[in-house]
Amino acid sequence: MTDQLLPAWSEPFVGARRGALRHLPPFGALDRAWATGGSDGSGVTVAIIDSGVERDHPAVGGKLVRSVKVELAADPDDDPVVLDDPDGLDVVGHGTACAGIIHSISPGADLVSVRVLGPDNRGKGIVFAAGLDWAIALGAGVMNLSLSSKSDALFGTFHDLADRAYFSRALLVCAANNVPGNSYPSLFASVVSVAAHDLADPSAWYYNPRPPVEFGAHGLDVDVAWRDGGRMVASGNSFAAPHIGG
Amino acid sequence: MTDSASRPRRRARAFNGEARAALAAIGRRAEVARRLELGSAEAVLRSVVEAAVVLFEAEAASIALYEPARNLLVFRVAAGEQGQGVVGLEIAPDRGLVGYVFSSGQALAIADVRADPRFGRSFAEQTQYVPRSIVAVPLVDERGTLGVLEVLDKRSEATFSLRDIELAGVFARQATVAIRASRVERDAATLLRSVLRSLAGDDASEQGVEALVEAALAEVGDPDDPLWPLVEQIAALRRAGPEQQELLSALLDVLVRQSSRGRGRRAGRLRAPGG
Repeated sequence: MTDQLLPAWSEPFVGARRGALRHLPPFGALDRAWATGGSDGSGVTVAIIDSGVERDHPAVGGKLVRSVKVELAADPDDDPVVLDDPDGLDVVGHGTACAGIIHSISPGADLVSVRVLGPDNRGKGIVFAAGLDWAIALGAGVMNLSLSSKSDALFGTFHDLADRAYFSRALLVCAANNVPGNSYPSLFASVVSVAAHDLADPSAWYYNPRPPVEFGAHGLDVDVAWRDGGRMVASGNSFAAPHIGG
Repeated sequence: MTDSASRPRRRARAFNGEARAALAAIGRRAEVARRLELGSAEAVLRSVVEAAVVLFEAEAASIALYEPARNLLVFRVAAGEQGQGVVGLEIAPDRGLVGYVFSSGQALAIADVRADPRFGRSFAEQTQYVPRSIVAVPLVDERGTLGVLEVLDKRSEATFSLRDIELAGVFARQATVAIRASRVERDAATLLRSVLRSLAGDDASEQGVEALVEAALAEVGDPDDPLWPLVEQIAALRRAGPEQQELLSALLDVLVRQSSRGRGRRAGRLRAPGG
């Protein structure tokens, strides 16, 4: 009864139901070697569109090659502005957590931080879209998005951006949103949408053939990097996404 | 020639000033009404956090709502013995865990908070309570994000499970519906925007409407304005029961009479030396 009430994108990846996914051909043999083939991510640039990434955090391994922040323009008619953020600052800790997970899986990948937490409710969707636009133009191969917009007014903007990323051979890896309703771009077909499973294994990945959430990854009680060189134990779909992004 | 050309421009400037003053007055009244109306939704929000504390067997639960005019998240209600210190706390929408959940729309749980002394200290300074674990979910629907629901310290477990995060989301949904059903979300900006759009019709320029709304609300959110503490007190008074209101009214009556009598005596003393 309760199961039916919950908007549970994690549900297919949890407990007994996981058994049904394990035997789905052709993914029964999916393992780390198949997925990565010994690659360490060298030559790939991963953009982390989030709260910033702390440049000197040990978990990032010195792989943060560029850091920018996106802000609303002073004139509301103008597009948001992308500014260099040489200090490599994370205002929350969340972006550093995602960067640390990606680095732990793909230590050779270059990381680029795009800080997009908007200063107000009205501006944040526009700021987020501008950050994504910038990362696509930069030529990042993978983009980690642990945030989404619910704004219908921005449906077209995000759809165009998802198409542009797809045709630029860039993969958008989005954390699924457990709140029912719109969530852009995580619900678009051309992106990879990820929810958390409840195993304590960072190398366990599951594929779900029923859209919109395609993959399940480690997202419960994850030991993550946090701001000011710290660490935190955290849970959420936003920590599952970088396990796939990495 | 020059005079006749500049006169309409001067008139237009004067009109702009008057129109903006009128819009500012509307914006100010709408904001006062919004703050007074917060009380009607607070009863439902309080029942949501109380239910969350019972169901999660948690130490505390609280709800922070976004105040557009001031661009701040403000904790409005809390339940649980350890939760009360948070009420009234204000947080920037792009800072900290609550700000992140609000800005990203993404539900999060963190554990081992005490293992990070900086986080624990800053939290304790503000709320007098350091939790072990927190789950925070956005109050969000297709019309936008209204705030954040937080649940602190499940007594039976050291951390919150994925199921807990989803269940907290269901509670957040209840709170969102309650707020939408009340008039709280009709903030001054939304009200002005809809009035201006309906007056201007289909020809209204989006940027024009936004510019007018922003001009009208430029000073509404000034936190130093002495009007807001008064409005908060009146809103609190509206939430009081009939007996409490009667008592307060009697008390005010006595105070007013005392104060006017005191003024009379002081005035008498002042007059005396000159007389």
